[in-house]
Order: sequence, then C-alpha cells, then structure tokens
Amino acid sequence: MSYQTSPQYYSSRRRPQTASWNRNQNTVAFVSSVKLGPIAHTVLIALMITVLGLVYLTQATRATGYDYEAERIDSQIAELETKKGDLEVENARLTALENVQDSSVAKAMTPPAATEYAR
Amino acid sequence: MQLAFQKGSRSRVLGGLLLIMMAIFVVRLFYLQIVMHDDYVAQAMQEQVKPLTIPAKRGLIYAMDGDKPIQLVMNQTVYTLFVDPATVTKPEQVLETIRKIAGGNLRPNLDKLIAKKDTRYQILGTKLTRQQAEMIKKEELKGVGFQEVSQRVYPEGGLAAQTLGFVNAEGKGQYGVEEALHDRLVGTDGLLKSVTDISGVPLTIGSGNINRPAKDGENVVLTIDRNVQAKAERALAEGLKNTGAKEGSVIVMDPQNGHVMAMANLPSYRPAEFTKVTDAAAFNNATVGVPYEAGSVIKTLTVATGLDQRAIRPDSTYVNTDKIKVGDREIGNATKGQTGTITMQKALDYSLNTGMVTIAQRLGDGTINQQARNTMYEYFHDRFGLGEPTGIELLGEARGNVTKSDQPGAAVQYATMSFGQGMNVTMTQVISAFCSAINGGTYYRPTVVAGTLASDKTTFSPTNPDVLRKNVISQEASSQLRSMVHEAREKFHGAKDKAGYEVGGKTGTSQTLKDGRYVDEQTIGSYLGYGAGGDGTPRYVIMVQVSGKDMNLEGGKHAMPVFTDISNWMIDYLKLQPKG
Repeated sequence: MSYQTSPQYYSSRRRPQTASWNRNQNTVAFVSSVKLGPIAHTVLIALMITVLGLVYLTQATRATGYDYEAERIDSQIAELETKKGDLEVENARLTALENVQDSSVAKAMTPPAATEYAR
Repeated sequence: MQLAFQKGSRSRVLGGLLLIMMAIFVVRLFYLQIVMHDDYVAQAMQEQVKPLTIPAKRGLIYAMDGDKPIQLVMNQTVYTLFVDPATVTKPEQVLETIRKIAGGNLRPNLDKLIAKKDTRYQILGTKLTRQQAEMIKKEELKGVGFQEVSQRVYPEGGLAAQTLGFVNAEGKGQYGVEEALHDRLVGTDGLLKSVTDISGVPLTIGSGNINRPAKDGENVVLTIDRNVQAKAERALAEGLKNTGAKEGSVIVMDPQNGHVMAMANLPSYRPAEFTKVTDAAAFNNATVGVPYEAGSVIKTLTVATGLDQRAIRPDSTYVNTDKIKVGDREIGNATKGQTGTITMQKALDYSLNTGMVTIAQRLGDGTINQQARNTMYEYFHDRFGLGEPTGIELLGEARGNVTKSDQPGAAVQYATMSFGQGMNVTMTQVISAFCSAINGGTYYRPTVVAGTLASDKTTFSPTNPDVLRKNVISQEASSQLRSMVHEAREKFHGAKDKAGYEVGGKTGTSQTLKDGRYVDEQTIGSYLGYGAGGDGTPRYVIMVQVSGKDMNLEGGKHAMPVFTDISNWMIDYLKLQPKG
C-alpha cells in the first residue's frame, strides 16, 4: 500500500522511506486552516490581562473584607475583655477586707474558745 | 509602505510638535517617577499609612492572702465624656440625658461648657463606667463622644497606701512601689503601622505593615499579706486613738527571709483619691523615709555586739550607779534605783544606759577607745547596715547617719549610740538589723517583692530571699540575745502574751532635738520585738513607733500595746503551735 502526504497532513517524523513505523507513534499532525492575525492576538492578550486584573482585584477586595471582619472581631474581643476586667474589679471589691469585715457573717464571728493542735 | 512627510508641510510641523510634547512628557515623567520617586512614595505613605500605638497594660500589683496572691491594684477602663459644642444641635437634650445617667461624674457649669460654640472639644464628665457610657451611646446624641482611659483601682481602699503609691494623670508612678518599680510595671507600647481606610480601619494590603504587639508590664506580687497589713493598720489606728498620738508606723517582717508582711503608716490616704490629699507628708512612707534616733530599741544591737565579741555574757555583771562618765560628759539612766552590782540581763530588762555604755567600754580597754569604736562601727554600720539604705524596693529610702569611729568627740557619741542616741536610722534599718541578730546571724535584704505573676494570673514566680551578709553574729550570740530579749519582755509584760509562746521585745523612748538640744517634753515611743512558736524559731518581728508634736510618748506605754495586739493576733494567724 502506498502512502501519500496531502497539503493538510505531513509526516511528523522525518524518517527515511525505508524505515518502518512503530506503534503508538504519531505519524501526522493537524494544522488548522484558521489563521489568527496580529489584531486577534492583541485582543486576546488584552482580554487575558483584563481577566488577570479582575482576578487580582477580587482577591485584593476579599483580603480587605477580611480586614473589616478582623477589626470587628478585635473590637468584640476588646469589649469582652473590658467587661471581664470590670467583673474582676467588682469581684475584688466584693471580697475586699473592708467589705468582708463589715458583713453580717463576719460581725457574728467570735474567737475560738479552745484550740487543739494536731501533731 | 514608507511614511514620509513632505519637507515644510504642516503635517511635518505637527509631527515635530507632537515629538517635542512627547519628549516633555517623558522628561517630566522621568522626573516624577524616577528622580522624585522616594519623596512621593513617602508622601503617599504619610497619607495612607497610619501608625497606631497599641498601649501596654500597666502591670497589676498583688498582695499575699496567706499563701495565695490576690489583686491589690488593678486596671479598669473608664470613659471621659466630651462634646463638640459646634456640632451639638440639642444641648438641652444632651445635658438632660447625661445628668440622668452620669450625674456624679459630671463637671460643674455644664451649661457654660456646652455653650462654647467657638470650641470643638469640651470635657463634660470623667471616669464614667462602661455601663454609663453604653447607655449614653444608645441615645445617639449628636456631638457627644467618649474617650477610653485606663485607671488604677484599689479594691482594698487605702490598704498599704504608702507602700503602693499611686499613678498620676500622666500615667507615671508616684511614691511607693508604683514609682520604685515603674519601669517594670509600665511595659512597652506596641506599634501597628498599616494602610488604613478612610475611617482608620487597618488593612492588610501593602508590604510595609508593622505589627509589633504591646508588652504588658510585669504583674508584681508583694510580700505584704493583706490580712497582716489590715491588722497592723487597725492596731495602729487603735493605738493612736488610745494614746492621742498623731503619727505612727508599724512594720511586720518575716525574720527568716526579710519579707515585709506589713508596713503601715498613719496618717494615711486612699490612693484612688490622691488628688484630695492636702498634706503631701501623707504620701511618705515613714518606715523607710524618715530617719530618727531610735532610742533604747538599739540596745538589743549593742547587747548582740557585746555577746558576739564575747565582751559580755547575759550574766556578766557591772556596778551600776545610775550614772557613768565618758570623757567630760556624765551619762545617766532614765530608770533609776537599780544600783549595785547587776547583770547585763538586768541592764536590758530595765533599759539602763549605763549597762550599754559599759558594754561599749568592754569592747575596748575599759574605755570607748578607737578599738571599741571601730568594733561598734563595724557591727552597727557594716554588719547590721545602720546608716545605709537597705535597698528595699520603695521610693525615698533615707540613708540615715552613723558617725564614723574616727571623728572628733566620737567617744561620747559612741557612748550615746550604744543606747540609741546620736545616730539617725530608719525603722526598716532597725528591724532588718534585729531580724539578723535573732535569726542566727543572716542579714536578708528587706524586700516588699515576693515575685511576679505571669499574664495567665496563675503562674507565680517567687523571688529568692537575698542574703546580703552571713554570720553577722554567731548562732550562739543570736540564741543568747533572743533569750535575753524574751526575758526582758517576760519580766514585765509576759502576762499580756499568749501562754506557751516565746515573745520577746524591747522598749524605746527617744528624746527629740528642739533648737539643737534634747528635750523630754517631745519624745518618740518605739517597741521592737519578735514572736516564736514552740520550736523557738522566730516567725515574726514587729516594730512600732508613735509620735506627735509636743507629745511625751513612751515605748512601754504607748507603742508596746500596739505590738502586743498585733503579736497575739500573729500567733493565731500563723497557726503557731505552743511549747510542749
């Protein structure tokens, strides 16, 4: 069987006519008949740059959005810490000796009548 | 195709002009973007990047509550209420609301302040609580704002006021540990340098952001035990009330490590209300800052010196005639009548000056010669640390004065020093010296700092006791001294102590100088003593001092009751077991 090359197809491997073809080897390649001109290339590149720019902007905006979220959480933490601090101060005031000594429980206390020591 | 203009055509001229303009743009852009690059970047950074200070929290101050630290000085966020009078549209509504919610925190003349339309900032109230600020914020009053301020709060009120000190409006520690340990307490502010949006919210965009966290101040744990401190203050107040004395001080110290368990002074103040104090003397911690002639309590140190030098023993005798001559001066006893051959124990019991001068003489060749004076100076100054700052972590520690042994007239001076006159010492110096004399001879640097507490508020890192000098006196001399001081108290006041415990003490009544001469009508009463449990190990040392202008105050009558009150309480508090 004879083998002919057409204008659309050509041999991908320049081999001597006498060489035999092995399995799993391309013997032809497709060449599109559609040709892109310089304007189309420019438009495509511009489109790619635009898409990349949009991707960058999206990411940058998302990062800024996280900043606001972080700021909100920071404020919440600060507020809770302030509340905790207030409660600690209140607790310390309530357990201060001045208050404890004036309590009815403390006033009702009496010295022990006798003490035994564990050896 | 070749593009060419005809020579001299308008198109060629236009082309030339465009070329020149392009060249100008290029040059200008080169100047702006290359030459001026750094300047404009700096300007842009100034506009967009804001440095925000992250304030460090001032370290808390803790006291001990038995063996557990408890907060004595804390921080609380309070709010300053301000208005921008130029933007306030409804002043009546603003005033009505803030009066209703924060009446007690407002300034006087609110109507005038809010009417100052030519100003943009007027403070209407200070120290508002968070709840008050939130309630006012809910009303959404135009032109009203709040500023967060951190302030020190003192849950225990005026407890240990002079030891603590306070923090002034500029955030600087004043007096006490607040000033002495300011650098440790203040911390280091952090820095957040970042691009911010229009409302000042930091954004992570940009490569030059700095986020250096604040380093909070250390949480300092004091050796002060709040229960002992409270007891010392109550006992001192009671003592002053009973005697009519105007001023008084008490120190309670652990002789086994130099820890100050209580340090009380009257008159006192409340640190939260330091602005209301009219006499700045109330800020001073007299126990460290006011040297005085301590009087007969110093006799314990003279006896310690004599015992350690083996110049005397408790049962050594001398002939007491109630007076003794040193140089051209005659020194007499305050307590008369114990004449004849008496022991040194008796001299201490009756606080006889002649006995102490005799000890000083026996340190030499029978007179207070250079050798005797050198020995006394070595013990008083070099070993017991009198006349030198102890290094306690409190502001304003006084040095005092112990005259050197080679000064003119030193023999008479050293004779008077043997019974506590002629030298100025602070209570802290005396009690630290006494602790070293009765604990076996180890001089610990007195301290009010027990350690630090980590930011988790649970991990306590104790500070090791600082041994300044060992073998100040021998174990044997220390034991003999303890026994003598115990007997001196036991003889006259033993019945006042709890039975089964070893309590010793010595009175001191010091004349004061008026117009350059000692007077009897204004005296300072002191008492210095210790307490031990059944094992004989001293567990606490207490020194009391009471004074008042033109008041004749005595150690035995006026200072000792305060000691006895605290001492008996300490035995229970420390759960000391009796002998047997």
